[in-house]
Amino acid sequence: MIEFQNVTKTFGSRTAVNKVSFNIDRPQMVGIIGRSGAGKSTLLRMINRLTPATSGEILFEGRDILRLKGGMMRRWQRDCAMVFQQFNLVPRLDVATNVMLGRLNGHGTLKSLFNIFSASDVSDALEALDRLGIVQEATKRAEELSGGQQQRVAIARALMQNPHMILADEPIASLDPMNAKIVMDALREIHERDNKVVICNLHTLDTARSYCDRVIGMRDGFIVFDGKPEELTTSAAREIYGADESFNEAATSTAIDAGHSGAKESAGAMTPAAAAV
Amino acid sequence: MAVDTLNEPVFDRGTVFRNVRRRAWLTIGAPLAIVLYLTYTWFAFGVPELLAKAQPERAVILATDSVAYKVHVTKLLRRDIMEVAIEGERRATYAQEDLPGWVEVDGTNAIVDLGDGYEVTITGKVMEFTVPDYGTIKVTATNSGVTTELPPGPVPEWLKDDPRKFDARPTLDRRVQVTKTKIEVHNYFGGWENFWFSFQSELHGMPFSQLWAIALSNERIDPAQSNMSLIMHDFLGNPDWQHGEVFTALFETIMMAVLGTLIAAFVGLPLAFLAARNFTPSLLLRFGTRRLFDFLRGIDMLIWSLIFIRAFGLGPLTGALAIAFTDTGTLGKLFSEALENIDNKQVEGVRATGASQTQRYRFGVIPQILPVFVSQVLYYLESNTRSATVIGALGAGGIGLMLVETMKTSRDWENTSYIIILTILVVIMMDQASGWLRRKLIEGK
Amino acid sequence: MAVAALEQEILILRKRRQLYSLIGLLLVVAVLVSGFSKSNEMNSGGFLQGLSKFFDYPGEIVAEAWQAGPAFFGLILTFLPAMLETLNIAAVATLLGGAMAVVLAMASTRNVDSWGPLIPVVRRIMDITRAFPELIIALFLIFVLGSSPVPAMIAVAVHTAGALGKLFSEVNENIDRKPIEGLSACGASWLQRIRYAVMPQVAPNYLSYFLLRLEINVRASAILGFVGAGGIGQELRRTIGWGQGAGDETAAIFVLLFCTIMMIDQVSSYLRGKLVGSGRAH
Repeated sequence: MIEFQNVTKTFGSRTAVNKVSFNIDRPQMVGIIGRSGAGKSTLLRMINRLTPATSGEILFEGRDILRLKGGMMRRWQRDCAMVFQQFNLVPRLDVATNVMLGRLNGHGTLKSLFNIFSASDVSDALEALDRLGIVQEATKRAEELSGGQQQRVAIARALMQNPHMILADEPIASLDPMNAKIVMDALREIHERDNKVVICNLHTLDTARSYCDRVIGMRDGFIVFDGKPEELTTSAAREIYGADESFNEAATSTAIDAGHSGAKESAGAMTPAAAAV
Repeated sequence: MAVDTLNEPVFDRGTVFRNVRRRAWLTIGAPLAIVLYLTYTWFAFGVPELLAKAQPERAVILATDSVAYKVHVTKLLRRDIMEVAIEGERRATYAQEDLPGWVEVDGTNAIVDLGDGYEVTITGKVMEFTVPDYGTIKVTATNSGVTTELPPGPVPEWLKDDPRKFDARPTLDRRVQVTKTKIEVHNYFGGWENFWFSFQSELHGMPFSQLWAIALSNERIDPAQSNMSLIMHDFLGNPDWQHGEVFTALFETIMMAVLGTLIAAFVGLPLAFLAARNFTPSLLLRFGTRRLFDFLRGIDMLIWSLIFIRAFGLGPLTGALAIAFTDTGTLGKLFSEALENIDNKQVEGVRATGASQTQRYRFGVIPQILPVFVSQVLYYLESNTRSATVIGALGAGGIGLMLVETMKTSRDWENTSYIIILTILVVIMMDQASGWLRRKLIEGK
Repeated sequence: MAVAALEQEILILRKRRQLYSLIGLLLVVAVLVSGFSKSNEMNSGGFLQGLSKFFDYPGEIVAEAWQAGPAFFGLILTFLPAMLETLNIAAVATLLGGAMAVVLAMASTRNVDSWGPLIPVVRRIMDITRAFPELIIALFLIFVLGSSPVPAMIAVAVHTAGALGKLFSEVNENIDRKPIEGLSACGASWLQRIRYAVMPQVAPNYLSYFLLRLEINVRASAILGFVGAGGIGQELRRTIGWGQGAGDETAAIFVLLFCTIMMIDQVSSYLRGKLVGSGRAH
C-alpha cells in the first residue's frame, strides 16, 4: 500500500530523517517510537506533505506522493488525515464546524468563503462525533473542551476526511492517562472497524506494545528496529533510546492501564530523552 | 466513554443544523448589507454624474507638466517682436545672443527645428509647419483671424482648424498655435527647467563640478558676499521654484507637528494623573478631568484650528495650538488608561524601601508608563505631521496652504508636484524617524 | 575586589544613563522653548495678543446663537444631511480601506503563509499609502473630478488601507499557527485556511482597530470637507465665509459636529471594550 524508499530530510546541516525505507503492505496499526528528536514527527509530516522531503520517494499505490503539487497534493492531504499532539483545532469555532472543516477539500472556494455546509456534511459530522462519544459537545466552542475531548474532535475531523490512512503525531503526549486511553482506543477501533492504516508516533513503549501490530524504532534519523511488538525486547529498546544498562523501561511508560493510573500519572509527561539521562 | 455524558442534558441534533444554517445566512447577509450600503452611497455621492463630469485630461496635463516643461517661441504680431521664453514667462526669456540651438531668429522671422523632421518657419505673418508623412501646412494671420492651406487629403485629428484660431499638436511634445495676434510654437522637454538657478542668476546652467569649484574658490563673483552664500542665496531665491519659501513652509509644518505634540504630551501627562482612579481619590476631580479630555477631543482639530486662526492669525503657532488642544485630550485619556493599568506591586515594592511620595512616582510609576508615553507621543508626532498639512490648508499656513494656493493658480504644475513630492518625503521621513526612535528607546533597552 | 569593581562599573553605567536621560530631557525642553518662540515670531498674530482675542470669536458665535433662541435647534437639524454625508464618507472610506487592508495584511505576513516574494513589496506599498497625506490626494482628485465627496472618500480610504494594513499584519504576526497547520493537513486551500483558521482568530482585533479607524476617519472627513470635499466641512466653510451674522449657523455646525464625534467616540470605545474583552477571555 505505502512504501518508503530512501526518504531523507535535512534541516541545514542536520539530517532529521536519513534514508528511511520500509513498506506497509496491508492495513496495520504501526507505532513509531524513539526519543524526541529522533525524526518521528518529521517522517509523519513528510507523508502528509506538511514538511517537504529532501530526497527519496513515498509510493502510495504506485504513485510517488512526494511529487504531487497544488490541487493533487491537497487531495492527497485529505486522503491521509493527520492528528496532532496539540489537536490543532480552531479554538473559536464550535465543535461541529471544526469537524466539518475536514471536508473543506471537496468544497469550492465561494461555498467555503460563505460558511456553507450541506445537511449531509452536518449529519456526517454528528455521526463522527457520536462515534467518538462527544456528540453532546457539538455546539460548544472547541476551546471550551478538555484536552481529551479536543483530541477526539480532531479524530472526528480526521474521520470526516474519509482518509485512506490516519497519521497521529504524538496524539496522547499532552493528555492525562485516562484520556490517553480513550484516544488510543478510538484510534485502534478505527483501524479495526474501517480497516485503515494508522501510523502513530508514540514516545512510550508500553502504549506501542499494547495497541500496535508493528513497531518501528527510530534513532537519530535512522530506523533501528522494525518488527512485531513481541520482538521489542529490553535490549532492542535500549538500542532505540540509546540508553545504557541503567535504562528502566518503566520510566518511558505512560500508564494507560487504568489499574496503575493512580500511581504513575505523573510519569505521563516524562519524555524518554529525559528518562534516559 | 459514556461516563462523562451521564449528567449532560439531552442533546438535540436539530440545534446543530439550525446553527450551521444561521451562520451561513449571517456570512452571506453581512457582505450583502455592505454591498447594499455601498450602492446607496454610490448614488448619494452622485458618482454617475461625477464620472460624466470628470476631467481626466486635467490629470494628464498635471502628469505631463510635472515631468516636462515647454519653451515658447512667440511672435507677437501687433508689436512685431519675437520672443523665446520658458513657459512663456517674462522672467525666463532667453537673451537674443543666447538662444537655444534649435531656434534660429533673423530679425523678427524665425526657423524652429522641432526635431524628427518637424519644422516651423515664421516669415512675417505667415507660418509654415512641415509635418513628416503629412506635408506642409501654411497658416496666415489676417486682421480678422487666420487662413489655412492644408495639404490634400483628410484633415487629421490632431489639427483644429478654426477661422479664429489654428491649433496643431501632431505629437504630445510639439504644438503650434496661430491667432490673429500671435504665432506661438511650443517645444517640450523632459525635466524641471531652471530648478537650481534662474536665468537672472550668474550661476544659471553651471554644472555641479564648476559650482563646487566656485564655492571653494576665493575669488568672489559678487564682492558683497562669499561665493558659498551667493550660491545659497541664488538657489533659495530662485523665483521660479521659490525654494526658500517652500522650505520655510515645510519647516513651519514640521514645527506645528513637533510643538503641538510636545505641548500635548507635557500637559496631558500631569492631567492624566488627575484622571486615573488609582492616583486621584476625588471623584469630582477625576470626573472633571475626564470630561475636559472628552471636551478637548470632541471639539476636534477642525474647530480648534478655525478658532485659533481667528485669534492668532496665520503661522505655525496657530497650527501647533490646534494640535496641542486636541491631542491633550487624546493623549491624556491614553495616559490615564495606562496609569490605571500599571502593576501596583512595583509601587508597593518601592514603598517598602521607605521611599517618599515623589520617589515612589519616580521609581514605581514612571518606569512603567514611560514606554507607553514614548511610543504614543512618537506615533502622534508622525500622524500630526500629516494633520499639520491639512490644518495649514484650512488657513494656518505652512506647506498645506502653499499647496492649495499653487493648485488654485493651476499654471505651474511642476511647482505643485515639487511641493507634493517634498511633503510626502517629509512625512515618510517623520514616519521612519519616529519608528526608529521608538525601536531604539523601547525595544533597545 | 571583583565585586567592588563590578559595583563601580554599575555605578558608572547608571550615572551615564542618568546623564543621557537628562540630555534627552533638556533637548526636548530646548525644542519646546525655542520652537515656541520661533513660531511666535513667524506667526502673524503673536501669542499674547492672540490670547486676549481667544474668546472673541467663540463669544461672538455663542452670542449670535443665543439670539437665535429656540430656532437654533431647528438650525442644527438643517445641517443633519451634511453631517450624514460626512459620516457616509468616513464609513465608505473605512469599509473600502479596511477591505484593502485585510488583503494587504494577508499578503504581507509570513505567519499566514503569504507568498514570500510578495511580502516586501506589499510592505513597501503599505508604508507609502500610509505616509500619503490625505490632503494631497483629496486636492488632486478634487482638481480632476470636481468638488464632491468622492475625492475625500478615496483619499481617506487610501490612507486607511495603509494604516490598518500595518496594524492588521501585526495582529497576524501574533496568531497561533496550529489551526492553520491543522487545516493544511486536511487539504484546505490557502483561502480556506485564511477563512477558517486565521479569520476567527483575528476578527475581534480587526474589528476593534476598524472601529478606532472609523472614529479617526469621521474627523478626517469633516476636515477635508473644508478644502472642498463636501459634507459638514464644506457647510462650515460656507457659513464662515459669510462672516458676521452667520454665527448662529456656524455655532449650529460646531454643536452638531461635537455631538456626533462624542457619540461615535463613546459607542466605538464601548464596542471595542466588549470585543477586546471577549478576546482577552481566552
